[in-house]
Amino acid sequence: MLTIDNLRQFGANVREGMERCMNDETFYLEMVKMTLDDKSFGRLSDALQSGDRQAAFEAAHALKGITANVALTPIYEPVAELTEILRPAAGSLEGREEDCQAYLERITQLRDELISRRDGN
Amino acid sequence: MNTKMQAAFRPSDNLRRILIVEDEIVNQRILARYLEGTYTVIVASDGAQAMEAIHTQCDTISLILLDLNLPDIHGLEILRRLNADPVYAGLPVIVMTADSDAELECLTLGAIDFIPKPYPRQEIVLARVRRIVELSEDRDLLRWTERDQLTGLYNKDFFYRYAAKLDDYHKELKTDALVMDINHFHTINDRFGKSTGDRVLQRIAQQALDLVRSSGGIVCRSEADTFFIYCPHRADYNQILEKMSVSINEDTEPENRVHLRMGVYPDADKGLEIERRFNRARMAADTVRGSFTNAIGVYDHSMYEAELFAEQLIGDFPSALREKQFSVFYQPKFNVRPDTPVLCSAEALARWDHPRMGMVNPGVFIPLFEENGLIQSLDYYVWSQAAAQVRTMKEQGIGLPVSINVSRIDLQDPLLIEKLRGIVEENGLDFGDLILEVTESAYTEDSRQIVERIRKLRDLGFCIEMDDFGSGYSSLNMLSAMPIDVLKLDMQFIRSAFQDQKALHLLEAMIRLAESIEVPCIAEGVETREQAQALKQMGCDIIQGYYFSRPLPAPEYVRFVRERQAVSPGIENCIC
Repeated sequence: MLTIDNLRQFGANVREGMERCMNDETFYLEMVKMTLDDKSFGRLSDALQSGDRQAAFEAAHALKGITANVALTPIYEPVAELTEILRPAAGSLEGREEDCQAYLERITQLRDELISRRDGN
Repeated sequence: MNTKMQAAFRPSDNLRRILIVEDEIVNQRILARYLEGTYTVIVASDGAQAMEAIHTQCDTISLILLDLNLPDIHGLEILRRLNADPVYAGLPVIVMTADSDAELECLTLGAIDFIPKPYPRQEIVLARVRRIVELSEDRDLLRWTERDQLTGLYNKDFFYRYAAKLDDYHKELKTDALVMDINHFHTINDRFGKSTGDRVLQRIAQQALDLVRSSGGIVCRSEADTFFIYCPHRADYNQILEKMSVSINEDTEPENRVHLRMGVYPDADKGLEIERRFNRARMAADTVRGSFTNAIGVYDHSMYEAELFAEQLIGDFPSALREKQFSVFYQPKFNVRPDTPVLCSAEALARWDHPRMGMVNPGVFIPLFEENGLIQSLDYYVWSQAAAQVRTMKEQGIGLPVSINVSRIDLQDPLLIEKLRGIVEENGLDFGDLILEVTESAYTEDSRQIVERIRKLRDLGFCIEMDDFGSGYSSLNMLSAMPIDVLKLDMQFIRSAFQDQKALHLLEAMIRLAESIEVPCIAEGVETREQAQALKQMGCDIIQGYYFSRPLPAPEYVRFVRERQAVSPGIENCIC
């Protein structure tokens, strides 16, 4: 089960996230759980795999906004960095595929970590 | 009606709607949570839903919070569409974005502010939203708020707009349109002076304002002494009238009480434009005009039928004119000064033979066309026909003039003189062959320009008859200075004179008035021998009416003239 303590241990900025949820713990935890289930994780992974940079950027950008709102800082940080790499104006991705992949793995691993706590494994 | 409903008949904060356009459900939920309780929140998860919500609810959306990265239509494209459409261009949009790169483009496309992601604290977002809503409403209000200077109430334009806004917020609520004015307000101004009249209006306005503040609704002064109220449907109209009633001198003397009258259009049809709803209330008010026993008129089915009929007549008018459904009849006028009355002229009157309805009562279509200006085309048609008829008769040796009606709206036409001159010249007539009947109210409109125009027509050689004399408020002083050759007494006036002794004395006084300014006097609507004789004894010079003849179609009129010519060779000895 996901708790405020879990999230704090995970490195989330609980104070900030709670403040955004008007210090309603139940609501905050619900938002975190919904974030973990957000379709943009799957979209990001698919788009990177198929080499669709625009779609990958949009998915990363969306994730950046959500994870920032619920203050899941450990996930937000790699998502934000990946978003900047994928941003169309940032130049060619050539030679950076591995970086992107590494970010994706990092993001997925962190998300899985929280999901397993949420689901009680 | 309960207090809750009264309070709700106003646009208040919690009725203002904020449209959140955001595809990420977590963001939607947090933002909605921020705003709920203060505003009504509508959520669109993509661009298509957003456009749909804007199309269907734009009247009640106070603000749009727009995310840029939407799955279908990009936020910038939504901004572009809103900006390009004048209906939506005024909707304030706050863009929610984590990227400052897009800000300039958003501003160019009409965005008014930004909310960053991650979202700031609730208070900050709320403060920003409130400020933008207020700014945008103030901007709208400034555009429309023009209060009536005298009473401080809304003016009519703003009132209509506000009423429409209330409808947007209260689609299901039954509402009434009320029109109120003061019986014979001008007499208050005449008797007590304008400043007293103004104070009366101000006090009525204050009473009306107190009334709508306590029981819901809005009020305006539409013009002069006329007030409009738009309020939730109620049954106690008497009470409203009682509450709005004031005394002229702020005393309690019953004779100084101002008499208000009211027209009610109850449970008004919201499918009608707001202006038309108030027209209906005004029609209802007109049904109690001049009545001291009944001060409230209510719009009902018969008025609806009359309105439909009027609309049909107006709709049919252009084809009627084109297809010559109108014909001109002539009602003879007799000089009754000699022992044997002598035919001296005739009045040209329009008759409408409608293909489906048969003969339409001129008492219905003439006032209707006078009201909406169509009378101008009809008058011109009648003038042309009458002039052609005079020419034909002159060619046959009959030199009787014909009088034609010149409506108030004709007198406002700067081309009037040229039009009439053209008709006279085209038919080779003399100006004296046509008599112009000008209604008294045209003179009393206090327009120097109109009186000047009449004077010019008279200088050309037209004979000027002041029609409906007695229905207006001409003073002796004014009459003597006016360009008038003949006074024609108001028909209603003559009808009531023979039923009521007081009115008879008044009629005598009117005829003496004509004598005193040395112009002949015509009585129309004379139906019996007794009436004709009485009028002659009173000093009336010319008589028109069923007693001598009904209005006749042209060929019958010509026969009528020929028969009289045979017995009275001095027929052309016209008075005018």
